[in-house]
Amino acid sequence: MDPYSPEGELINLHSAFHAGAYQIVIDFDTTPISQAAELPARVLKLRSLIALGRTKEVITELSGEKTPDLVAVRLLAEYEEGNDVVDQARKLVERHGSDNLTVQLCGGMILSRAGEVEEALALLSKHQGSLDAVALIVQIHLQQNRIDLAAKEAQRARKWAQDSLLVNIAESWVGMREGGEKYQSAFYVFEELAQSNQSQSAHSLVAQAVSELHLGRLPEAEAALQQALVINEKYADTIANMIVLNTILGNTAETEELKAQLENVNPEHRALAEWREKREEFTRAMGRYSPKFEV
Amino acid sequence: MSSPSMLTKFESKSSRAKGIAFHPKRPWILVSLHSSTIQLWDYRMGTLIDRFEEHDGPVRGVDFHKTQPLFVSGGDDYKIKVWSYQTRRCLFTLNGHLDYVRTVFFHHELPWILSSSDDQTIRIWNWQNRSLICTMTGHNHYTMCAQFHPKEDLIVSASLDQSVRVWDISGLRKKHSAPTSMTFEDQMARSNANQADMFGNTDAVVKFVLEGHDRGVNWVAFHPTLPLIVSAGDDRLVKLWRMSETKAWEVDTCRGHFQNASACLFHPHQDLILSVGEDKTIRVWDLNKRTSVQSFKRENDRFWVIAAHPEINLFAAGHDNGVMVFKLERERPASAVHQNQLFYITKEKHIRSYDFAKNLESPSMLSLKKLGSPWVPPRTLSYNPAERAVLVTSPADGGCYELISLPRDASGAIEPTDTKRGSGNSAVFVARNRFAVFTQSNQQVDIKDLSNSTTKTIKPPHGTTDIYFGGTGCLLLITPTSVVLYDIQAKKNLAELAVNGVKYVVWSSDGLYVALLSKHNVTIATKKLEQVSTLHETIRIKSATWDDTGVLLYSTLNHIKYSLMNGDNGIVRTLEHTVYLVRVKGRNVYCLDRAAKPKVLQIDPTEYRFKLALVKRNYDEMLNIIKNSSLVGQSIISYLQKKGYPEIALQFVQDPQTRFELAIECGNLEVAVEMAKQLDRPKLWQRLSTEALAHGNHQVVEMTYQKLRNFDKLSFLYLSTGDQEKLKRMAKIAEHRGDMTARFQNALYLGDVQNRIEMFQEIDLYPLAYLTAKSHGLEEQAQTILEASGLTEEQISMPSVGKPPTPLRPIVPTHKTNWPTHGTSSTVFEKALLGEVDGIGSEEAPATNGPGDEDLLGNEAPGAADGQLAEGDEDEDIAGWDMGDDVEVEADNDFVNVESAEAGSGSSEADLWARNSPLAADHVAAGSFETAMQLLNRQVGAVNFAPLEGRFQEIYQATRTYLPANPNMPSLVNYVRRTIQETDSRKILPLIPRDLDSILTGELQAGKTAMVKNKLEDGVQVFKKLLHLLIVNVVTSQAELSDAKKAIHTAAQYILAMSIEISRRALVQNAQDISSLSSDTKKRAFELSAYFTVPELEGPHKSIALWGAMGFANKNKQYSTALSFANALIDRTSNAKFKETARKVKAVCERNPIDAVEIDFDQFADFEICAASFTPIYGGSPSVACPFDGSKYHAKYKGTVCKVCEVCQIGAPASGLRLVG
Repeated sequence: MDPYSPEGELINLHSAFHAGAYQIVIDFDTTPISQAAELPARVLKLRSLIALGRTKEVITELSGEKTPDLVAVRLLAEYEEGNDVVDQARKLVERHGSDNLTVQLCGGMILSRAGEVEEALALLSKHQGSLDAVALIVQIHLQQNRIDLAAKEAQRARKWAQDSLLVNIAESWVGMREGGEKYQSAFYVFEELAQSNQSQSAHSLVAQAVSELHLGRLPEAEAALQQALVINEKYADTIANMIVLNTILGNTAETEELKAQLENVNPEHRALAEWREKREEFTRAMGRYSPKFEV
Repeated sequence: MSSPSMLTKFESKSSRAKGIAFHPKRPWILVSLHSSTIQLWDYRMGTLIDRFEEHDGPVRGVDFHKTQPLFVSGGDDYKIKVWSYQTRRCLFTLNGHLDYVRTVFFHHELPWILSSSDDQTIRIWNWQNRSLICTMTGHNHYTMCAQFHPKEDLIVSASLDQSVRVWDISGLRKKHSAPTSMTFEDQMARSNANQADMFGNTDAVVKFVLEGHDRGVNWVAFHPTLPLIVSAGDDRLVKLWRMSETKAWEVDTCRGHFQNASACLFHPHQDLILSVGEDKTIRVWDLNKRTSVQSFKRENDRFWVIAAHPEINLFAAGHDNGVMVFKLERERPASAVHQNQLFYITKEKHIRSYDFAKNLESPSMLSLKKLGSPWVPPRTLSYNPAERAVLVTSPADGGCYELISLPRDASGAIEPTDTKRGSGNSAVFVARNRFAVFTQSNQQVDIKDLSNSTTKTIKPPHGTTDIYFGGTGCLLLITPTSVVLYDIQAKKNLAELAVNGVKYVVWSSDGLYVALLSKHNVTIATKKLEQVSTLHETIRIKSATWDDTGVLLYSTLNHIKYSLMNGDNGIVRTLEHTVYLVRVKGRNVYCLDRAAKPKVLQIDPTEYRFKLALVKRNYDEMLNIIKNSSLVGQSIISYLQKKGYPEIALQFVQDPQTRFELAIECGNLEVAVEMAKQLDRPKLWQRLSTEALAHGNHQVVEMTYQKLRNFDKLSFLYLSTGDQEKLKRMAKIAEHRGDMTARFQNALYLGDVQNRIEMFQEIDLYPLAYLTAKSHGLEEQAQTILEASGLTEEQISMPSVGKPPTPLRPIVPTHKTNWPTHGTSSTVFEKALLGEVDGIGSEEAPATNGPGDEDLLGNEAPGAADGQLAEGDEDEDIAGWDMGDDVEVEADNDFVNVESAEAGSGSSEADLWARNSPLAADHVAAGSFETAMQLLNRQVGAVNFAPLEGRFQEIYQATRTYLPANPNMPSLVNYVRRTIQETDSRKILPLIPRDLDSILTGELQAGKTAMVKNKLEDGVQVFKKLLHLLIVNVVTSQAELSDAKKAIHTAAQYILAMSIEISRRALVQNAQDISSLSSDTKKRAFELSAYFTVPELEGPHKSIALWGAMGFANKNKQYSTALSFANALIDRTSNAKFKETARKVKAVCERNPIDAVEIDFDQFADFEICAASFTPIYGGSPSVACPFDGSKYHAKYKGTVCKVCEVCQIGAPASGLRLVG
């Protein structure tokens, strides 16, 4: 069913993809693979390009494609570009959503990112034993703050997918919300990813750093983040978490510098966007008080 | 003749009482009787506590031990017995006397008993080793009485040989308290001395023999403090004797008894002698004039003995038929309250006033020495504010009154000049220029004008005993059985209220209500004398006063209590001494004690205020009380429950069981559900289901049925609410359980024919299956069944059925929401409470968490079912219900969760933080800035938040990490906790950056370094940053909190000091020599440099300030100021350079210690520096402070933003910084 399952030939590619080692995915030699796996491999490569911000390449490459999978990926790229493709995505989903995994995944991502969370969940729930879909469902539940549902989803996936990497990762995401001992378990998963050659990436290192940060191990977190910066100094999440770390350490100057960096790399990053919003709230709340100054 | 001012408190009936003793602490009196019994009475309650009957024949002497639970008695059986009143047994008997024992007394400190006997001896016994230690011989007739001196080693004795003897027993004391280690010689001498005792009696020697009585002497007593002796004899005389070190002589004789005088004593506190005699009188004599002050006569009973209470003003006299306990005079001080002033008469009979607000006693204003007899205190005082006159009554001479004008100023105890007087028992002002005088003997009330002439005469009802003010133009006439409201103008009774034995009347301050006090009852009535409530006290009621809110506070002998209008009453506090309440204001009760001194007692009015608020349904007030005080637990709860306010009681209870009961009682299902979940007992679920059903809250009903596993009811509930989905699921469950009946029932409810047919087939009831199919017109299927069962149609007799009915369906999908039939129970009070809590921003939220507060992170939390239903196949669907073979306990959880699950977003962890914490920092981390600001505003009066923006941002952004998740998806936000180990969602809390440690080692040190390095502007910035870091922060313990507060204080002081210095430098443009500047500027500069030394800086830093100020002053010829700084510097600095310079400056300045410019700085005065104006605030002058950093300001800065922290409002009401959860 799942072309990425442990028995499948794309297991390594899939693992690297989910560890965020996009370059490895792109550089992956796909010539020896079977014809059946060709399309899924291509999809992964295209999605990796999108993840690296090379959306325009993807759009151009796929502009004439009619295969639902590739259309879905194109729509995702376009969404990433900032185009409103929600309606197109809906149409695609209507036609192919019930059996095409790529359509389900890309459609689910577009819908959930567009705020159509229930719709996205309904679509993703149609998957036929895909861990990708499960991971996405878990993430969406976590974004909804429904840790309970996310945990249930991960738990059920563990029943049939046993110790798959993606199940572990998804469980770790949940664990990062649950806290306590789960922080440590999550750390083990992220660390394993981050320290193996196959999957080391800014993505996985940041995940490791974040788990360490939550465990209160700040020097280790910093080391991991520095390592991530070496791999990719423009990875927004690295910088965003670096800001958090420096704030906790009380390094005001560094924090400001990092914020400027982040502003450069991705001005729409949540770390910045959220504070902009909060700042307004602060000003509004502050306005309820009218301090009197002595002159 | 009965003396008007002798007040009998207790009387017993018995045979002749020969001996009496007061217990020094408890209200007990021992009475030894001629009949051989010893009685122990509680004279306050009037009850006989115990009887001791071991003596044979009359018991003449008895005494309590001062401290031990012992008493001693001596009787005609020659025996002295020592008793324990605790074990109620005679402990031992001292034998030795050879004739009647007349008196027995304990020594006040030594373990000695003194006895006198008809065997002519006086003996001293040691009751610890139960031995006779001294026998005093010398009297040659019966010794009738012998007493220890209260302080010295003396004994006085009286004998029928007509003499009074004083004995010196210092030898005996020496012998018995000698040091234990003795030389051999001492021991020899000692044993020799003992030998000598036997014959020579050197242990106790006669010091004086007093002769003067012509007959036998019955009693003798020492004065408690003066070298005086009083004796009473059969010559009917009471004689007063005086003694010095060397001699003793007769002073005078009190003549008056016309029969044998039996006993006598000195008044313990006043210059009076009391004596009793066989002429049936008690007589009181003036000690100084030896004249009779008053006497009291019993009709038939001869008096035999008298005793005085050692502490309080009480006496007891024993006579032929028992004992009477009495007071010589009223102790209730006469007083009157007008607005903020109390007028009262002191023990010296001076009128004084007392200001409640200032807690200030005036000097004496008038002396009333001449009023009535000198020994009789005035009874009442009535005040006329218009004329500033008082009306005083005295019981002396059959009752008299005096109308006196008070002097304008209290200038001492002057004798009044212009007084009007007359006779009468009571006198009260009834109008500005009228007063009423009541005379009991002729039953007449005279209304008089201020010139004391009668304008009107009233005949009160028969038997009137007293009159009181009754409202303008009215009088209250008191009779033994009723109170009458009498209109003076109309001359008629307006109202009458039957109340027995009213003694005192107390009007409320608004004049609308009146409290009528009798000995054991308080009756509250309106001003029209309609009874409002009445209550009974077993302990005597002494006084009462009204609270401004209409609560009556009254005092009994040992309590202050309160009574509401509805008669609810309770104890406010206990009293050690009887007091007379005059006023209550807030937490203060003002009263006069028995010495007529004004006193202020602290009380906690919370309880009665709360009850009052409850009665008045003043919810705001109640809320206020609940929030601001810790109400007594159980009593308030049961009170509320009893009074029918379970919903309010609910607010106080913690115990889940009680909470459940209360919640059911008041119909608060939410709380009931919450508690039932906690307790999880079938009984409770059962009750909850009944209650919820009555409420029409079918969602709760559904849950309880699930909890109870009540499948039938559940099915029916779904049917009646039209919830088809769940009904279907019930059918599935029934199938799973293999419960055919249930399955059938559910299928019926669902109208699911197919299912029924299948079921019948499964259990081999083919005929029924066939019938079902057939009757529903399912011919084909019927046929199949028939074939399968091998029967033919003919073999089955088919009853004729009509058209099969379809189950009824609710038209409206009622299952979607509740249809409450009951109004929800939230009362105004609860709403207010909840509303308030919301407004507060959840500071109290953890306490009021509703059922919505399940563990949102828990695995068991609501949920998965919807997802499962949507996607899963049937097996999974059921699996969610976990209805396997073990349909037991663990199924429960899922069972419920399935039902209560709902899709949609949950609350984020950040929301939980705000819910979990009352700390502003946690609210900031949660992103709930508004509530954070509210908290800060309430805690430290924060109003200017602009400087805190950075801090808010810092906290906010330190708590959110970004975890990369699925490729092509945004990263996941996670929330950084400081409770790393915690998983209970009710306890998790955010990480707050910059803990106390980092601040103490960082900013605090940096600030101090800036001080040393003279970088004052930087220093101010750093310290301000410290303040801003700490105002929004958390610490782990109270100890850390106090460290934090210390740091805040330090920072504030440094900021102040540095700002002063900065402003000085700006003023003089950094010049050291300022001779060129204008004199105003100079003066200010000097002052600022002096003030720089005032804030509390650390030692070395203070030295810097002093050094700077010294140098500056010295250079500019402020020698006196410079000298004082030099001295201070020498005192405190350890810096050699500073010391050296200071010495030099000192030397220079001492030559000419004069300032060139007079400045506003007094090194000796106690003052602080206003942080806004940099001018001194001297002790006592009004000032306000910043509620956060404590900086002081002149009062005019109140309401502005603190210059030091720049956040808080000076003088704002604040509950105090909160950094610990």
